Amino acid sequence: MELSELLQFAVAGLKNGSVYALVALGFTIVFASTGIINFAQGEFYMLGGMLSVYALQALGLPIVLAVIAGVVGTTAAGVVFELGAIRPKRDGDPLALIIITIGGSILIQSLTRHALGPDEMPFPAFTPGPSVLVAGAAIERQTLWMWGLTAAAVVALTVLYRRTAFGRAMRACAIDRDGARLVGVDTRLMVTASFALAAMLGALAGVATTPLTQTAFNVGTRVGVKGFAAAILGGLGNPIGAVIGGVILGLLESMSVAFLSSTYKDAIALVVLLLVLFVRPQGVLGRREKEKV
Amino acid sequence: MGRLRARGLLLAVPALLIVLVPLLVDDRFVLKVLTFVGINALVVVGLALLFGYAGQVSLGHAGFMGLGAYTSAYVTVRLEWSWLAGIVAAALVAAVGGLLLALPSLRLRGHYLAMATLGFGEIMFIAFVEAEPLTGGVDGFTGIPYASVGAFEFGTPELNYWLVWATALLSVAVAYNVVRLRPGRAMRALHGSELGARACGVDIVRLKVQVFVLSAALAGIAGALYAHLVGFISPSIFTLHFSVILLAMTVLGGTSSIAGPVLAAALLTLLPYVDAILPGVPESVATFLSEWETDIYGLSIILVMLFAPGGVAGLLRRIGARRGRSSMEREAA
Repeated sequence: MELSELLQFAVAGLKNGSVYALVALGFTIVFASTGIINFAQGEFYMLGGMLSVYALQALGLPIVLAVIAGVVGTTAAGVVFELGAIRPKRDGDPLALIIITIGGSILIQSLTRHALGPDEMPFPAFTPGPSVLVAGAAIERQTLWMWGLTAAAVVALTVLYRRTAFGRAMRACAIDRDGARLVGVDTRLMVTASFALAAMLGALAGVATTPLTQTAFNVGTRVGVKGFAAAILGGLGNPIGAVIGGVILGLLESMSVAFLSSTYKDAIALVVLLLVLFVRPQGVLGRREKEKV
Repeated sequence: MGRLRARGLLLAVPALLIVLVPLLVDDRFVLKVLTFVGINALVVVGLALLFGYAGQVSLGHAGFMGLGAYTSAYVTVRLEWSWLAGIVAAALVAAVGGLLLALPSLRLRGHYLAMATLGFGEIMFIAFVEAEPLTGGVDGFTGIPYASVGAFEFGTPELNYWLVWATALLSVAVAYNVVRLRPGRAMRALHGSELGARACGVDIVRLKVQVFVLSAALAGIAGALYAHLVGFISPSIFTLHFSVILLAMTVLGGTSSIAGPVLAAALLTLLPYVDAILPGVPESVATFLSEWETDIYGLSIILVMLFAPGGVAGLLRRIGARRGRSSMEREAA
């Protein structure tokens, strides 16, 4: 295989990897604040794309505003979901909460199908134009947008977590909820904020991908599983790990297409997930934790 | 002793009613729907053990059903082995699949199994579509024969109904024994406190894996029964959507109960056919229910978890407790 061809596969891997990274960040943020796996995370990805398409086609908004409307609308949906279904049960057992997120996931999916239709929907590229050629590999402009937005989201999250009082309160809540409450952190607000952030990141990934892949009411599940595999790979609850896990998973997938076959590309994520759980459950970057009585 | 006999009666009466149904119903369509209820009940018994007693959920049991269905179809049509061999192969293949999935996911605390089963179901769907030489691809697998033992063929709707429900009732009996004996006590301890159960010498990982493998095998058998009943299978039957419906039945049925989930399986399976079963219900109601089926399931899963975590079983227990109390009050008076 020629180098330029290999590079082309690497570009594809990094493109999907940035999506997995954003979705994995959503899983990790909610896990850190609540200790549960949010099965509706993939639906936030779907909603971001679908709402943007709706804003563009039915409301006639320009592209920029349609993208913002999609992300803001999804964030609002995340907040409503948390307030309506998670908060009333917040101190309940994790199994009940996880089942609630499963119910929420199929409810969001099904309501979207009823409201916006069952068809695949297109969305125009943010900036139209020919692909950029780098060392023989073509990079679509939309891919550059995806990388740019992912990088911007990571930087913004880092600033939020490290430089603001609100971000520090979120981190405190993730480390020890009762301790955070004792020093005056509004832990309920932090849980709502984590769902808002997770929804926002998922929506960002969804709307940035839609020009390349189109979208439909049922695209969330598969991306959700892959984003979760990426989060596990990097160590669930670790934001930096989530990004690295997403990039590794994206590259693994595209390299498996390059060297093996494309038929079972979607199986790679599950194999990775099970292997990591079996061999190194704390993730590639995580540290082993001791369980307390 | 009296309580035990009452309990036996409580099981025997519904069982007898179920057995008598084909003699009372002469509508072939209704009988077929009731046979599907039995198939779903068989899967839900396994899921009820997994959810209500081992505290785990699965989003991949449609995948195990498909695995069983395709295995039995392949064994009976391509290899031309007997139906019984097909069923056994279906159970074994599904059980091995369950073992491979459960071992890594259940070694850890938390709910990794749910996500692993979700991924598993998706991959089984892709495999059923892509592995064309084995499965027939999108067009499906046709020409699967009726169940038969030796020269005897289960060729009528009534015989198939009895075959499916006999299997389902057998699985209920097995589940009751699992629950009542040592494994069931260990599972209940596990639900209370995992650490406490472990301190008492319960090997929880092994127990959870065993329950999951049993539930996968039951789903495999159910899938095989379905394949031989309908004669045709395709990937579009064994989807995530179906896994979610099975989970909804289990969750609505309630924890620590077998009867509750089986009852919920019956109710939810019959829901889209309500016009055929209850006279006087207009067809538009049934159309509305099947159009909004998924939304209703999603919403009711959330509502049950928020407001009635005991589900149908919890409701039954509450009624039972009230009746027990009132009879005690009468005795006291």
